[in-house]
Amino acid sequence: MSATAGSVRPVRPANWGQRAAWWLVSLIVVAAFWSVRIKWSALLDFPGQSAKYLRALFVPPAWHKAGEAFSSMILSVQMAWFGTVLGIVVSFPLSFLAARPLAPLGVRLPLRGLFAIIRAVPEVVTAILILSVTGLTPFTGALALAIGSIGTLGKWGYEAFEAAESGPLEAIRTSGGGMVALLRWGVWPSSAPEVLSFWLYRFEINVRASAILGLIGAGGIGKMLQDNVQFRNWDVVGMLLLVVIIVTMAIDQISGAVRVRLVSGRWELPLVRRLASGGAPRRKGLSPEATPPG
Amino acid sequence: MIPVDGSGQRPTARPSRPDHRLRTGIVIVLVMAITVWSARGIDVDPAAILANWPNAVGNLVQLFQPDYSFFPQTLPALVETLQMAVIATAVGSALSLPLAFGASRAANPNLTVLRVVRFVMNLVRSVPDILYAAILVAIVGVGALAGILALVLFNIGIIVKLVSEALDGQDLGAQEAALAAGGSWFGANRMSLLPQILPSFASQVLYTFELNIRASTVIGLVGAGGLGLLIDNVRNYFLYHYLSLIIVEILVLVVLLEGFSSWLRKKLL
Repeated sequence: MSATAGSVRPVRPANWGQRAAWWLVSLIVVAAFWSVRIKWSALLDFPGQSAKYLRALFVPPAWHKAGEAFSSMILSVQMAWFGTVLGIVVSFPLSFLAARPLAPLGVRLPLRGLFAIIRAVPEVVTAILILSVTGLTPFTGALALAIGSIGTLGKWGYEAFEAAESGPLEAIRTSGGGMVALLRWGVWPSSAPEVLSFWLYRFEINVRASAILGLIGAGGIGKMLQDNVQFRNWDVVGMLLLVVIIVTMAIDQISGAVRVRLVSGRWELPLVRRLASGGAPRRKGLSPEATPPG
Repeated sequence: MIPVDGSGQRPTARPSRPDHRLRTGIVIVLVMAITVWSARGIDVDPAAILANWPNAVGNLVQLFQPDYSFFPQTLPALVETLQMAVIATAVGSALSLPLAFGASRAANPNLTVLRVVRFVMNLVRSVPDILYAAILVAIVGVGALAGILALVLFNIGIIVKLVSEALDGQDLGAQEAALAAGGSWFGANRMSLLPQILPSFASQVLYTFELNIRASTVIGLVGAGGLGLLIDNVRNYFLYHYLSLIIVEILVLVVLLEGFSSWLRKKLL
């Protein structure tokens, strides 16, 4: 733009830090593309190939395997549920011990370190580690999911407990309440909805993860999937994918509805809400839903 | 001051406490029933742990003695994992940005397109990344390419959801002004909404990069390249002292990255 028209627009300030960051990021991306060992030519037939495979998978899927697929998905869901419950049982007391107002530093730090380490190790790797003790069974899968859940639930738990309002805590302390009273009446009431919804959310994650654990042989839908991919029974694979998608989505819907109910006090299905809310875009401060209830 | 009547009872205006005992009881029984049903389904067998314990001790001891001399051999896989994560994040976020606008009801006036995009995105999100990898390995062959494609799909699912929700929450005044002044929807979104969501978009991209590093260490288990491929090799031969070195590498990588990206995200937001 020329300044001859006497424009009042100020010159855009040069942000050198941002510019350098952009260059650095672009450089890293270009370097990654340039150095990775990939036959990019394989990408040329990718559209054609995927069309072919999509047809093989879903036109039509192996309907006669639907029952078998469904029952192995149920096994995966059972694995996820049991793993979640076990994870909750272990992580719940631990997350109290890792919360700031409730435990001394010497207890808190090692626990937080443990949670962080667990979170950094993928569940599949945990499963590989413990399978020498428990064998390649769905039980191993559930144990791996339980361990993985301890990492995330422990962290979310102590964060929720630390966010509890200090007023009630102080009131209980000054009126002579002990540790148990402090937890039951000070911390729990304010963090319960959040903590319960974390449990459900972790269950949703575990349902997805349990399908993955099957791929290394821990049973369930993943195992059936891996077996059929190896023998290239594509129509069966397509059926399995359909079952995974339908069951995961159904569980997400139910669990999502319960989570909304826990946190906001209203019953509604997330997908229905998301699809139904397609109407007029929300203008801040104008729509009735912008004001929180109560 | 508390008014006291003759009986010593306080006539308070406090409503009676709602009785949730029945409901709580039903929920507890239901949860326990599902747990027992699950436990039977997966054959919970603590006795097996005791029976296998003597065999397993050797492996577990190896686990705490990482063999650092194996490090040079893991280096190519480690680099490949990083390359996969970088490329997938770049491609995935580039593809997600327009899709996020398509999936946001604030930015997309076309209801049909909105619903189609949201439906497809829900489908994409409901398949775990490693399942994509398992199928893509069959389509494009073993190697990093299958992994990258799987991660891209996985990233699109996440970023589109998070960014379109961020878009829905934005202040639409500037967009309305641009539209009223005769701008097209594309122009209005680009000039009014895009600058508003760029910081949160950047932070989602960083978050996705973290997820990608984590995911790219495991999708190799089905043949999609990176550290996972190596994990699969060493675990088939029960080389647990190698496996533990790989785990240490994953730990260091993830912790370093988490620290870096949480620092960067604080600066962004």
